[in-house]
Amino acid sequence: MLWAMIKKEFLLVGRDRHALIALFVMPAIFILVMSVALKEQFNQEDISFKIEIIDSDKSKESKKFIKKLLKSSAFTLDETEPELRITIPKEYYDLSKKNKKLETVVLGSIKGDLLEVFKAKLLKEVMDFKLKQMSKKIKKTDFQASKAMKKMSLEYEDLFSISYEKQEAIPSSTQQSVPSWIVFGMFFVIIPMSTIFINERKQNTLSRLTTMNVSIFKMTLAKTVPYLVINHIQVWVMLGVGVFIVPLFDTPALEITGSFAAIEVLSFGLSLSAIGLSVLIAVSATSAEQATTIGGISNILLGAIGGVMVPKFIMPESMQNLANISPMSWGLDGFLDIFLKSADVSMVSYSAGLLALFGLIALSVGMMILNYRISRGL
Amino acid sequence: MLQVSNVTKNYGDTKALDSLSLSVNSGAVFGLLGVNGAGKTTLLSILNGLVKMDAGKIEIFGLDVIKDRAEINTISSIIPQHLAFYENLTVKENINFFASLQKASKETVTNAIEINSLEGLYAHKASTLSGGQKRRLNIAIGLLNSPKIIYFDEPTVGIDPRSRNEILDSIANYKKLGITVVYTSHYMNEIERICDEVAIIDKGKLVKQAKLDDLLSNRSSDKIMIETVYSQKLSALGLQLLDATTIETSQKELPELLHLLEQNSIFIKQIRYGSTNLEKYFLEVTA
Repeated sequence: MLWAMIKKEFLLVGRDRHALIALFVMPAIFILVMSVALKEQFNQEDISFKIEIIDSDKSKESKKFIKKLLKSSAFTLDETEPELRITIPKEYYDLSKKNKKLETVVLGSIKGDLLEVFKAKLLKEVMDFKLKQMSKKIKKTDFQASKAMKKMSLEYEDLFSISYEKQEAIPSSTQQSVPSWIVFGMFFVIIPMSTIFINERKQNTLSRLTTMNVSIFKMTLAKTVPYLVINHIQVWVMLGVGVFIVPLFDTPALEITGSFAAIEVLSFGLSLSAIGLSVLIAVSATSAEQATTIGGISNILLGAIGGVMVPKFIMPESMQNLANISPMSWGLDGFLDIFLKSADVSMVSYSAGLLALFGLIALSVGMMILNYRISRGL
Repeated sequence: MLQVSNVTKNYGDTKALDSLSLSVNSGAVFGLLGVNGAGKTTLLSILNGLVKMDAGKIEIFGLDVIKDRAEINTISSIIPQHLAFYENLTVKENINFFASLQKASKETVTNAIEINSLEGLYAHKASTLSGGQKRRLNIAIGLLNSPKIIYFDEPTVGIDPRSRNEILDSIANYKKLGITVVYTSHYMNEIERICDEVAIIDKGKLVKQAKLDDLLSNRSSDKIMIETVYSQKLSALGLQLLDATTIETSQKELPELLHLLEQNSIFIKQIRYGSTNLEKYFLEVTA
């Protein structure tokens, strides 16, 4: 009996083109668009500034500096549409001259935080070059000091290390977009589920099933199992988009550093949560239109609060605290732990457990409402 | 075999059924009549375990409608007014799905399909069927548990006359198979055509339960009713008509009238003593 009901549900969802688009195409497009659109905002290491260089010094040293600057991936020479113009003044490399500065003019519209990145990268290159120049200068008088200076590195990996204890690591655009839209897409099971459920209820098919000794529990279970499978397929398809399709658009690929088992456990909890909420809305609504509207709005709100639309790490603290009420946030945090902290099952078990609990409570309340509605012919 | 005793059901302050009692004999085709809100659907819902009664007792083939619900579900079936199947599945997929739920044998499935003439439509998506075909599929699903009793809740709503005719013929055939039928409809001519016995419910109470013939016949009356097959010619003959197909006449005028009908090739379905047809009677008792 249960298998027949599960099979029926698969057939119905499989024939609902709109639902398939909402479940698979929509999140895939979101992942692609958001990963590509936000890559420069998230991937500061890969930022390359378009610069124009005016060499007023025209010395051997200035030419060497320009060559070194352009060797760095942080700067690209672009004389047609430069974002910044760097002017090397006369006698800039004459160590005896004071108050000689590189003059930088911002030509394009560069936001404050990106300008800070530019300044840091330029400072590193200038300091590096100056150190080497000084090293050469003192070589004749103090060989040991010169040798020590040459060995000095301005690479941050050599100067300091960063580890994460409580503070969240910042994801790349792909690491942020893939889990965000996976979570969002999973909650869109509300569309096929509510359409099928409400049609069944309105046409008395659920009542008919009751007269065939099909219990409310079996009805709900038969709806839960197919959507667990569908959500599961969604997760792996979207991960596939992040790993294989996103890099085709010159955007960093998703790297899955955590365990696959952790993804499975988290997906299960998330799916149960999405299905529970969908059942609750589907049985409470009076029409498919009402259910899809309420479902769509609640998804968008939960997504906005939960860090899907706007990443949590750029939210103010009060909003980050508010985000914790959204099950989408619990799922998103779990995925980010897997991608950024190589989380295993134990690390995501709290998020997954919370999601599963939310899902089971929503399913139970949904079953009670359904029972009430069938018994009153509503 | 179906015994309803003093059944009461309230929805808040509204009394849907008020100490209602009626009985249906095994193998009968039983018509349940009432205006909208009379309590027919509530009674059908209680009989099918969808709604709980507040008071009273119901037995179906000796089984208690509450205690033996699961067992009753295996011998009874409801054909809902709405098309309670899946429009996005084919006829075959619908039949197979509902057959699996009821563990129907191959023979039962074949019978249900044949009785409802669905053989040629097996691969068709249910949404592409005509109104009549959909109704037949709705009925076929109700036959998959080989029921001893079937409840029809207005099964001919919104379909063409040909399909209605086919459905009524098939329901009349259930009598031959020994299946008990409880039939609700707003079409009085359908009840008159297929039912042996009727119960009229009004405001949750039983107004009348009687054999249809007893209800409509009044042999002491001089009046005679002739029900004909519909013909456009009938209205042009200047006769006293009760409705589009029924003529009221007297014993004295009968030979002449029969001759007139023969001359105009109008076929007779039924001749009955008394001046009442079911619709007229229904309107009188529920006024």
